[in-house]
Amino acid sequence: MPVLGRLAGEGTRSPLGNRLMSHHWGMAVDLDRCTGCEACVIACQAENNVPTVGEEAARRSRTMHWIRIERYYEGEFPNPRVRFRPVLCQQCDNAPCEPVCPTYASYHTSEGLNAQIYNRCIGTRYCANACPYTVRTFNFFNPAWDKPLHLQLNPDVSVRQVGVMEKCTFCVQRIKAAEIQAKAENRELREGEPTPACVQCCAPKALVFGDLNDPASEVSRLSRSPRGTKLLGELGTQPKITYLQRESWNGEDR
Amino acid sequence: MDRGWQHSMERRDFLKFGVLTGATVTLTACEKPAQQLARFVPEEDFVPGVATWKPSLCTMCPAGCGVVVRVIDGDAEVVRKGQRGIIKMGLAKKLDGNPRYPVNRGKLCARGQAGLQRTYHPDRLRSPMRRSGSRSGEFHEIGWQEAMSEVVAKLEESSAKRPDSIRFVAGHLRGQRRELINKFLASLGTTPALQFAPLDEPVLRRANQLSFGRAALPSFDFERSNYIISFGADFLGTWNSPVSQSIGYGEMRRGRPGNRAKFVQVEQRMSQTGANADEWVPSSPGTEGLLALGLAHVLVKEGLRSGQPATAQSREAEEKLKDETFSPTTIASKTGIAASRIERLAREMAAHPPAVALIGGAALAHTNGLFNALAVNLLNMVLGTSGLPGGMFFAPGTSTVNAATTTNDPSDFVSQLLAGRLDNTEFLFLDHTNPVFGTPSGWQVSEKLKRIPFIVSFASFIDETSVLADVILPDHSPLESWLDDVPESGTSEATLALAAPAMRPLHDTRAMPDVLLEIARTLGKGTGEALPWKTFEEMLQSSYRELLRSERCDQPDGFEKLWKSVLEQGGWWDGKCQVPSGKATPLSVRVPEFVSPTFDGSEQEFPFFFQPYVSQAFLDGSLANLPWLQELPDAISTVTWGSWLEVNPKTAEKFEIRQGDLIRVRSRHGTLDVPALLNPGIAFDVVAMPMGQGHEFGRYAAGRGANPMHVVAPVQVEQVGSLAWAATRVSLSKTGQQGRLCLSSGALQEKEPEVR
Repeated sequence: MPVLGRLAGEGTRSPLGNRLMSHHWGMAVDLDRCTGCEACVIACQAENNVPTVGEEAARRSRTMHWIRIERYYEGEFPNPRVRFRPVLCQQCDNAPCEPVCPTYASYHTSEGLNAQIYNRCIGTRYCANACPYTVRTFNFFNPAWDKPLHLQLNPDVSVRQVGVMEKCTFCVQRIKAAEIQAKAENRELREGEPTPACVQCCAPKALVFGDLNDPASEVSRLSRSPRGTKLLGELGTQPKITYLQRESWNGEDR
Repeated sequence: MDRGWQHSMERRDFLKFGVLTGATVTLTACEKPAQQLARFVPEEDFVPGVATWKPSLCTMCPAGCGVVVRVIDGDAEVVRKGQRGIIKMGLAKKLDGNPRYPVNRGKLCARGQAGLQRTYHPDRLRSPMRRSGSRSGEFHEIGWQEAMSEVVAKLEESSAKRPDSIRFVAGHLRGQRRELINKFLASLGTTPALQFAPLDEPVLRRANQLSFGRAALPSFDFERSNYIISFGADFLGTWNSPVSQSIGYGEMRRGRPGNRAKFVQVEQRMSQTGANADEWVPSSPGTEGLLALGLAHVLVKEGLRSGQPATAQSREAEEKLKDETFSPTTIASKTGIAASRIERLAREMAAHPPAVALIGGAALAHTNGLFNALAVNLLNMVLGTSGLPGGMFFAPGTSTVNAATTTNDPSDFVSQLLAGRLDNTEFLFLDHTNPVFGTPSGWQVSEKLKRIPFIVSFASFIDETSVLADVILPDHSPLESWLDDVPESGTSEATLALAAPAMRPLHDTRAMPDVLLEIARTLGKGTGEALPWKTFEEMLQSSYRELLRSERCDQPDGFEKLWKSVLEQGGWWDGKCQVPSGKATPLSVRVPEFVSPTFDGSEQEFPFFFQPYVSQAFLDGSLANLPWLQELPDAISTVTWGSWLEVNPKTAEKFEIRQGDLIRVRSRHGTLDVPALLNPGIAFDVVAMPMGQGHEFGRYAAGRGANPMHVVAPVQVEQVGSLAWAATRVSLSKTGQQGRLCLSSGALQEKEPEVR
């Protein structure tokens, strides 16, 4: 159980203020479980009011998805190999997107999330240029929903306007809801209570979310796995997402 | 344009918000200035609204998953008693898996989550429609009273002349909805409803009927399998019960420390499922069954099968399997798989029990699909895991309440249509099915339907089939309806699904079952006794009263308690896990006679095998009008908003085809133009294309991509009669134009970044 103010190894200090965090939200992505089914993509889109942009904008790579499945081919027929990798905001502890923002719209929360304050954002797109993961998406147009499709919008998440940068929040509204519920019941958060939409729907349980401050949580356990790697970790961004590499069967190269 | 500022905050929430923001400001005041600025209105300080979660059912594919719907109050423009206005009502905001439901256990796929967009779709029909003029696609709105009286009058007329001229064609027919339709038809004196459901796997059902005496789709216990060999089944993407199978797959991969099973996929075009395989075996098209017999041959010949053959019949079958016609060296040339590889695979299988085999996709859609399926069933028998942990099994029957789906040969729409048994139809009901889109043009379904004098459709959208209707009586969306279902696969306990409406209807629509009951009442003619219920809800209640009387259900507190718990949890399941059940005991263990696949078109004129496949986003095409799914990049091609033709890069080089070139695909039966996509995961002589695009109707789907049915030959699977959609040969030619190919990745061939 996480205790306020406890030092639980690396990463509990915010690079901004060195303030101790009560929770340190992180994720583990087991690439051996991921099947590339893309349920997470739609789950995220539905939960976070991510608009569809239409064919023309999509052709210019302006789709707004906060999570995508990268597909890599290796080899030729008859031995082609495919790997899938879900990529979302890595919620870096040393995030390149934060210091470049002239309006402090991109900042670090007390629980270690890289957050975006939409009404501070003036659309310089410095953050998207600084991000090595290309997970930030920019609203080139005002989003529109043909009526009555607007009724699908989640009232817990703001709809972003033209000129605003947006990105994965680890479903901060769900974290908040779980925290409020726990507070109302006068107890600590339980493992698995805050669940981002992508994690909730993942059938093979490739995505695991939890508190990295709690050494007993599943996400902490998986993050310590010998299969664990950080995406572009050599850049020193200190991502909070650990990718567990795919294994081969009986040691065969796969 | 709608700005979508949807923070419809209740007063209480507003107060909470104020208190919380105030507290945050005070607490953070002592921090660095940068952070004070940052706390101005961060997203993390919004207080979420109060939501209720209601159970419902997913109807997007036949797997039948249970969902929970997040319902929040909001303002919606609705029609009530002919008046349009804005009211505050509970609105569905998000679909997630129902955590208690035995099939999907809290998980839901991309298509299931996009089900929300069906309810709020701008193209939904908002009131009954009457055809204007000829069958040209022009309709005008009419009231329910007018529509119903016209339908009843026509029905009376047809029923007086010849009752059996009234027919009903539906999509997936299951549960009490099916019962109701068939009781309604019986009361009119006509035959049961016909089914047109392209994903229904009639070939596999027939094979399971012959092998196991169950015309049902199989379930798998992947959690405990140590070796999986799939012959073309896209079981992690679209086939059978993908969510339940994906849950098992995840456990099979990493859920058992130190024991990671092997998974082998046999197919010619790498599917999303095949991309996850440990070994990918591209056999020649249509030889999947032969390969399965070859594996079984090695297992029997080398004495690798576990235990002894159970019966004299199976001993005889195994003797026959030892025949040299099935030896790896004999079949290597036909299957294109080296003899040594077949032997190695068989030995691996034997060394890692329990092993399980499954078949789906194109392997069932060749002319010899039934042979392929029977051969895989035989391989499962030799592997000896049917009905055991780690093997295949059949979901426990629920026949006391709902007749589970049985063989649908006599109720198969296509075979009836082709046999001319619909020629004298005077009156046709259409319910959530689109045979005009889903059949090859050679069958002339559209022309044949146009000859029917009066057609009533319950469609929610105008599509290629409902456009032929004279009157459309739009159904509620699934989230607005009473739903029931009997999941056929993916559950190891007896399961009945039931859900009350999650929200009130948006438009002037009516639930199809209630409309049928009303028609029956208006017609009189003794229909009241056969159909004593006023509403579908009453009928569902009476079915659960029946369940209570049966011995299967022990709810001592009576009906009210049972009904309440059913509505709360989204159905009834007995909690008695029945695996291992021994339910899949083989009936017949004959070695199926080898049948070669035949292909329409000569190899000289049409050098390529044409393989359409079920689209990850749109399935057979029924979901193509949902914008979320149109913009969902395909897992393998990463294409959005269109369709494409997969060609091997070596083949493309030979024919000087570049990525994005518009290619004309020609078969003996038609042509279509589609952009080329170079894919290293496809055989040199195979071209593949997703189903589902090429619609004429729907604002997000119309005119987008191409429908492979335009070139698919009207060839049927032998002894089954369903469409053999993988039995066409085609030729390719360049049009000289660029196609619309909207890729979300760059080139197909790229290196994964080095990860440290």
